[in-house]
Amino acid sequence: MLTFTLRRLSLFIFTLLVLTLLSFSLGFLFPGDTVINHSGQINTTAAELAHLNKVYHMDENIFSQYGAYLSHIFNGNFGQSMASQSPISHEIITLLPATIELSLVALLIAMSVGIPLGFIAAINHNKASDNVILSLAMLGYSIPVFWLGLLAILFFSIGLGWLPSAGQISLLFEIEFVTGIQFIDILLSDSPYKWQAFRDASTHIILPACVIAVAPATIFIRLSRTAMIEVLAASYIRAARAKGLSFSQIIFRHAIRNALIKIIRHVGLQFANLVTIAMVTEVIFSWPGIGRWLIESIYHRDYTAIQSGLLVLSCFIISMHLFIHFIYAALNPLARGNKYGS
Amino acid sequence: MARDKIYLEEVFPSPFMQLWSGFRKTPVAMLGFYCFMFLVVLAIFSPIIVPYNPIDGNLDMILLPPSWHEDGDVSYLLGTDELGRDMLSRLMYGTSLTFGLSFVVVIVSLVIGVVIGSLSALTKGIKSSFLNHCLDVILSIPSLLLAIIIVAILGPGISNTVLAVAIVFIPQFIHITRYAVKEEFRKDYVLASRLDGASNFRILYYSIFPNIVERLMSQATLVQSAAILDIATLGFLGLGAQIPLPEWGAILANGLERFYIAPWTVYLPGLAILFAVVATNLVGEGIRHALKLRKES
Amino acid sequence: MNLLDIRNLSIELETPSGRVRAVDKVSLSIKEGEVRGLVGESGSGKSLLAQAIMGVLQDKWHVHADRFHWRGIDLLRLSIDERKALLCRDIAMIFQEPMSCLDPTTLIGAQLSEAIDTSQLTGNYWQRRKQRKEAVIKLLHKVGIKKHSQCINSYPNQLTEAICQRVMIAIALAGRPILLIADEPTAAMESTNQGQIFRLLANLNQFKNMSILLISHDLENLTHWTSTITVMYSGQFVEAGSTEQIFNKPMHPYTQALVGSSTKANLRLPAKSRLMTLPGSIPVLQHLPIGCRLGPRCPRAQQICVRAPKVTNFHGHKVSCHFPLFKETNKKVSVKGKVVKGSN
Repeated sequence: MLTFTLRRLSLFIFTLLVLTLLSFSLGFLFPGDTVINHSGQINTTAAELAHLNKVYHMDENIFSQYGAYLSHIFNGNFGQSMASQSPISHEIITLLPATIELSLVALLIAMSVGIPLGFIAAINHNKASDNVILSLAMLGYSIPVFWLGLLAILFFSIGLGWLPSAGQISLLFEIEFVTGIQFIDILLSDSPYKWQAFRDASTHIILPACVIAVAPATIFIRLSRTAMIEVLAASYIRAARAKGLSFSQIIFRHAIRNALIKIIRHVGLQFANLVTIAMVTEVIFSWPGIGRWLIESIYHRDYTAIQSGLLVLSCFIISMHLFIHFIYAALNPLARGNKYGS
Repeated sequence: MARDKIYLEEVFPSPFMQLWSGFRKTPVAMLGFYCFMFLVVLAIFSPIIVPYNPIDGNLDMILLPPSWHEDGDVSYLLGTDELGRDMLSRLMYGTSLTFGLSFVVVIVSLVIGVVIGSLSALTKGIKSSFLNHCLDVILSIPSLLLAIIIVAILGPGISNTVLAVAIVFIPQFIHITRYAVKEEFRKDYVLASRLDGASNFRILYYSIFPNIVERLMSQATLVQSAAILDIATLGFLGLGAQIPLPEWGAILANGLERFYIAPWTVYLPGLAILFAVVATNLVGEGIRHALKLRKES
Repeated sequence: MNLLDIRNLSIELETPSGRVRAVDKVSLSIKEGEVRGLVGESGSGKSLLAQAIMGVLQDKWHVHADRFHWRGIDLLRLSIDERKALLCRDIAMIFQEPMSCLDPTTLIGAQLSEAIDTSQLTGNYWQRRKQRKEAVIKLLHKVGIKKHSQCINSYPNQLTEAICQRVMIAIALAGRPILLIADEPTAAMESTNQGQIFRLLANLNQFKNMSILLISHDLENLTHWTSTITVMYSGQFVEAGSTEQIFNKPMHPYTQALVGSSTKANLRLPAKSRLMTLPGSIPVLQHLPIGCRLGPRCPRAQQICVRAPKVTNFHGHKVSCHFPLFKETNKKVSVKGKVVKGSN
């Protein structure tokens, strides 16, 4: 287990380095002066420009430029946003937790809805409920997420008035910023309106999380259905039936565990897809997350923000991959001694 | 009187014909296929058959509701938008933009991705795992983010959008091709060709590609539906097709401001996107289902 | 007394080109305490037959029989659930490739204790866990696994095939069955391990009076361990009788070919001479011949063989053939024996 962990961690670090290489190269690819793209300070005087050139090792070869960039990243200095001229690290610390919160809740909803439905579809293979679930999944997969978000706002917020349509929490509650994740902050704060704030935050998060969760849930339905059908056709299920176990015992004790193992790997891969959808949804629901900030930076041509935002978001996704890979290894005894990279 | 069929001959159709007959047996897949063909025809011929010019508007007929509404006019079948442009013509013209360009995206990324993927599947050892990890990194960046960055580098506009989306889907094809080619390489018929002395290129071209082409096709339909959604999303965010091009996402974004007074400007483009994506997905599902049937029989 | 009595069992499958009879009117009977072998090539439907007896076939197969008695109880009158409950209690089955028949993500100990019925555990609720553990260890000892703690705490892929098969036998024994169906238990093993497994089965038969239905494609191997043999070909019943009868005096051309192709029966052949074989191969499900399915390959086939032959019984040696072979004995063979019966 230890070698597996070490191997995985070294892969992780390698992946992060490649990512920083990518984001470094963006400084060259974006229009404008490279050093301005890295640091984000527009309207610099000549002295400031010279200082920046020294700090980012612009006069030397490309490897030391990369080294300087890397050292800046490790120090937490992502430069300044070209639009607001405030340090980007600041903005990221406030915005990233909101996105984490939203995407994790959406992932949870997608998994808890998609996976059981897929299992049910597989157990009733070729019967009516299987076809119904598959058609619903097809429909859910095909709806453009921005249209779905708009319809959801129209229907639930404006039509029925049940759920709010924008923001993370009502402005009336003043919750102190501790971690940035609303639910944890609410529980940690000592406001007298804790439970109302909690309820309010939950009503705010339900609609965007459900809208995000639709497409990944349909993919999970399909994945879990395939996995369960494969497991149910395996020899050991037949042997278990010959052993005399009842159907529900077989499903709950043996089939589900083996099917989940096949699915978990794909959950990690779907996470990038989920974050993509979350970015668009944040724009529609005005959720104060990093996706919306990135899209606005595109409108403002804020290249530094885009560079750092890419780095941070991808790091988040890769960390989630790693985490899910560890869960997979914990569940599946076969995966622990596995070959490199397979 | 002579009978011409005395002996019942057994017909052994080729794998492709088996696939096609399996596809035809599923009515839902055939429905999707007809819708798909309808969209293709529309995409090709829409500049000729649109009733009104999708770009110039008739300022007398602003914000006309669709014809089934009491205020609507039958000559403007689906209503007009805020500049008096006919919705039906805009949607038809948008087919050739959103749907047609998704074809271009898929073909470009398919060709490049398959070539790179099969070449990289031939490598072994450190080079192979290095490529594998680079691919992992690129695949873990959200596709929309990557497309947005490429658009930020190149500037907005529909041709840049197409390029960006194509570049985004190349890694997916590389991944699929690598996986499929590696799987086929383990099989014995490839070993037999190799023992005969075939070069790598020959093995790829004659032995492996005919066996993976169906998997690639079903993946291509998935990628196409994702491409339609991505082009529409970029158009919605204002990064794709610029005004006044009637790309579906852009039409939707345009109609957003007047959502309450003219909701059809938001419903109709969304329905069009949904229709196109569902048709593509039905075709893809049909292909996969027919592949499964063929494997089982 | 006959433990299991099956007459004219057929298993059919729906295909796009009509209903195909994978197993065509096979009869089987097993007495108490005997080891019966079921021999046939792969594709002869013997595994299907075994699974049909246990009731673990997939839904796409349709099974029907004229008579299906278990210890005198007519199973066709019971509902499916009652039948399954009865059979699961008294019959156990072990499969080919034992490693893939064990759940790869559960420890062996857990899988074994699952098979132990709670009714076998005496004692109170809190004593049950300990008793279960003891019962598992006892079972493992019974099948000859001495290092039980190592076995209990490992996953199936960490053990060898032979040990996995022993574990499978232990799981089968946990239910205290009266009949054990062994579906090619040693197909995936080397010959030393094969001998061990067969010896274990023979011990179980001898000391616990457990009947065994041993399914295999290897006639030569089977003759060591079985007392009676049934031969099947392409889903049809061919011949049944005691091992000595089948091996020394085969009456069906197919059995003769099987016996003739084994080295043991031909020890007196001169060096470098050919072993006897039948030309051709077993027919596929899509192209089954009508009547006797050996017809296209049989050297003694005549026009009457397009109709399926009935089973004839010669002193407990049952044959299903229009022209069975007779070994010339000193006794004069009666004219009745010459089989040109037109009414077959």
